[in-house]
Amino acid sequence: MADQTFRLPDLGEGLTEAQLVAWRVQEGAHVDVNAPLCDVETAKAVVVIPSPWAGTVQKLHARPGDSVAVGAPLVTIAAQGAPASAEPAAEAAPSTLVGYGPGGPEAGIRRRARVAPSAAVEPSTDVRAAPFVRQMAKEKGVDLAQVTGSGPGGRITKADVDSAAAPAAAASAPSTDGERRISVVGIRKAIARQMVRSVSTIPQFTEFAIFDATNLMAAREQRKASGRPMTPLPYFIAGVVKAVRAYPLMNSSWDESRDEIIVKQPINVGVAVNTSQGLLVPVLRGADKLELEAIAEQSAHLVDGARAGTLPPGQMSGGTITVTNVGASGPVETGTPIINPPECCVVAFGAIKPRPMVVNGQVLARSGAWISISVDHRIVDGALATEFLTALVAELESIRA
Amino acid sequence: MADVVRVVAADDPVRPLFSPAGELTADARGTLGLSPDELRDLYHKMVWIRRTDQEALNLQRQGELGLWGPYQGQEAIHVGTVAALRPTDWIFPSYREFGMGMCRGIDPAEMLTLFRGLSHGPWDPRRYHFAPLVIPVASQVPHAVGMAMGSRFKHGDDVVLSTFGDGATSKGDWHEAMNFAGVFRAPVVFLCQNNRWAISVPLAKQTAGSIAERAQGYGFPGIRIDGNDVLAVLAAVRAAAARARQGDGPYLIEAMTYRMGPHTTSDDPTRYRSETDLERWNVKDPIPRYREWLQGQGLIDEASLAAINREVETAVEATRNRLKSAPVPAAGEAIFGRVYQHPPDSFLEERQEFESSLESN
Repeated sequence: MADQTFRLPDLGEGLTEAQLVAWRVQEGAHVDVNAPLCDVETAKAVVVIPSPWAGTVQKLHARPGDSVAVGAPLVTIAAQGAPASAEPAAEAAPSTLVGYGPGGPEAGIRRRARVAPSAAVEPSTDVRAAPFVRQMAKEKGVDLAQVTGSGPGGRITKADVDSAAAPAAAASAPSTDGERRISVVGIRKAIARQMVRSVSTIPQFTEFAIFDATNLMAAREQRKASGRPMTPLPYFIAGVVKAVRAYPLMNSSWDESRDEIIVKQPINVGVAVNTSQGLLVPVLRGADKLELEAIAEQSAHLVDGARAGTLPPGQMSGGTITVTNVGASGPVETGTPIINPPECCVVAFGAIKPRPMVVNGQVLARSGAWISISVDHRIVDGALATEFLTALVAELESIRA
Repeated sequence: MADVVRVVAADDPVRPLFSPAGELTADARGTLGLSPDELRDLYHKMVWIRRTDQEALNLQRQGELGLWGPYQGQEAIHVGTVAALRPTDWIFPSYREFGMGMCRGIDPAEMLTLFRGLSHGPWDPRRYHFAPLVIPVASQVPHAVGMAMGSRFKHGDDVVLSTFGDGATSKGDWHEAMNFAGVFRAPVVFLCQNNRWAISVPLAKQTAGSIAERAQGYGFPGIRIDGNDVLAVLAAVRAAAARARQGDGPYLIEAMTYRMGPHTTSDDPTRYRSETDLERWNVKDPIPRYREWLQGQGLIDEASLAAINREVETAVEATRNRLKSAPVPAAGEAIFGRVYQHPPDSFLEERQEFESSLESN
């Protein structure tokens, strides 16, 4: 066994860096050849990097969010079958990585030729700018003769015109009085993209209801007493699955390109999980085929896996409806959840707590919680959403221990 | 109007094999005359070229290849086409027909040295009758027609197959090639792999009307077929090649398929196409489809499937190892070595200047 260091290759014809999105392995873990090591995002694509060697992961050289230069160390692996020698193999025989050659990163990171903004270019009437940039300058009232071009050969770019047109404050470098800039990569970026897609493409409305959790809590007590405790989540999932069975349209997608609604056969329940990386939604596949026990077991596994960052991406996609437990970690009564595209519906459960309820004409203290559902109005109208919500409340209230 | 050559059904041996929807008819499927071994071999080859494709993708991600253009989803065309032709028939590929080269017997590790930057032309085209992969879109189509015209002038019976994507049919080269082929009745089969994407441009924004029907305008027949059925591809190419061989001129096959992966490793298809689109094509994946057919015919069992997988894994691992130990040529020879048979002085000077610049570094 000898340690070999894998350096970030040029993943796409002339790139100089990539941002590490997430590790799929931990230090100390065993990897096989081609096992996924990490996800990185380049200027062109998010890609998975497979391991070049089999062996034990010795060191991860970057953290999620870090920008890694092409040629910089990414991971060190004690490779099986690699020659054990006094000199570390990586130094002894650098592999020929396409894009920066055998001599290590210093020898030749392929940098894109960057032409510095040419201050030496004399301001003259001979402005260099593409026709659309000139048109834009005219519209914005920018005098191109006064603009220093940052493009090749001093050419004025769209961005140059934008900054020239913007108020001076906005155009200047970010001010330093208390502002901090956080580079948005990986999961944060994915969440942002998904949420923008949701609110910008799905006309969604939200409905609320309160359900009486007395039976649910009694069932939980009974399980606890017999040494088999269960969180409320599996009950929520099971309730949603049953209600979806009665209203399959809640388990569908809008296909814009064909003017069709795709009603999904399996019910794959996404479970929103807060992790140190941000919100993740692992998917409980075929939840309609599972008994409560199996739902509990598998959802716990998914939640743990999401928090530990060990779930493969396949288990984080393909959901058909999402459940979010907004009351799980605070006094949150309810919220207006945002649909996880391309799904049709998201169900939020608030905190279960004692609250005054009117039962047989009397105000009693009963356990209860809010449910809110956000629904794609292209697919489902208020009446159907209400029927679904009614069915869901009925399912949860009729839980038997 | 008497001069206009009418394309009539009697002149088209391909169309009777297919339903109007482009599916190979049961009769035609039953009369292909392939032995069980040959039928199994088609499957074996599809699995082998797909697994090699995946390995090349991994190798690119590991920094061992500069670039890769995956062909996942188009294996039926790669395998069916080569099986339909004689080994002496020429193939003029684009850049995505790596699997066809493998089926022609070229060592995949040798071919991959192209993508590793070790060689400009790793194989001898004359030995395999397989022209170099070309990056410029549609440039190979006139080459193929020229080769076919040459075959005709020499009174040979070699047929030439030119393959290209849907995007290539928008190019002027394509029109020129089609026109020459029609006028000279060149023995050439045009095989359009309509994978519905020209990089990020969908078919609907690339092509109005039918590609197959364009053949009519050039004076020869064309047909649209199911390109994810290996036997359909084999039957169509075989019949079109036989027609060309007996002097009846060109034929255009538009094989409908789907590029399941990115355009190349520099491309991120999730930015321009939806998963639902991909899911629709997943069910038409040529490999499971053909496997199920073989199983249904009782031609393959679990043991032989497992054996194929084992054999493929071993072959792919060997390819990986051979590639990684491929010798790195001297830069001067690699760049200047194969340009001229008799290099002019100025060229030799340039080479010398280049080589001494390497030494001084």
